[in-house]
Amino acid sequence: MNTGMFRALLVLAMAFLFVGAILQVSWPEATTMDNTTNEDVGNALFGESDASGYGLVMLFIGLLLLVALLGGVFLAKEEKE
Amino acid sequence: MIPIEYWLIFSSLLLAIGIYGVMTRRNAIVVLMSIEIMLNAANINLVAFSSYYSSLHPDLGTDATGQAFALFSIAIAAAEVAVGLAILLSVYRRYQTIDVDKINILRW
Repeated sequence: MNTGMFRALLVLAMAFLFVGAILQVSWPEATTMDNTTNEDVGNALFGESDASGYGLVMLFIGLLLLVALLGGVFLAKEEKE
Repeated sequence: MIPIEYWLIFSSLLLAIGIYGVMTRRNAIVVLMSIEIMLNAANINLVAFSSYYSSLHPDLGTDATGQAFALFSIAIAAAEVAVGLAILLSVYRRYQTIDVDKINILRW
């Protein structure tokens, strides 16, 4: 058996294990339809009252994206010989 | 409402596809794409469980924390892709290849 086939079988076995484990659990049946709106997501992100959301985390993620952008530009820059 | 099992099976299959891509492919861009597929599997789990929780407890109101965390995860994935592609570009300039078997020396 070649390595590729072995890996494929391994991943297939893992997928079957996941599916089996999920189907083993008796999940309580949800009767009502969830109606999450954009407003709910906004409230979860920034909070309805003072400092109850993730506004500061959003700020840090924005900073992280800026640093990633600058790092990407720095790494992709043409080298001068 | 779509049962939670369907979403979980979908996300675990996505995870398996991503793991298979990481394990078998040699092209570094495809490996990066497979990692993104795995991240998306995690995002689907976050949103599915958040929605399921809200459906199970309608008296508590809608809780969109899972969706918010999925947004964070997408932002982190974007940063990861930006740095990953820049590293790949740099590696390609150096070695003229992005085959992960051939770029196993972690020095310039």
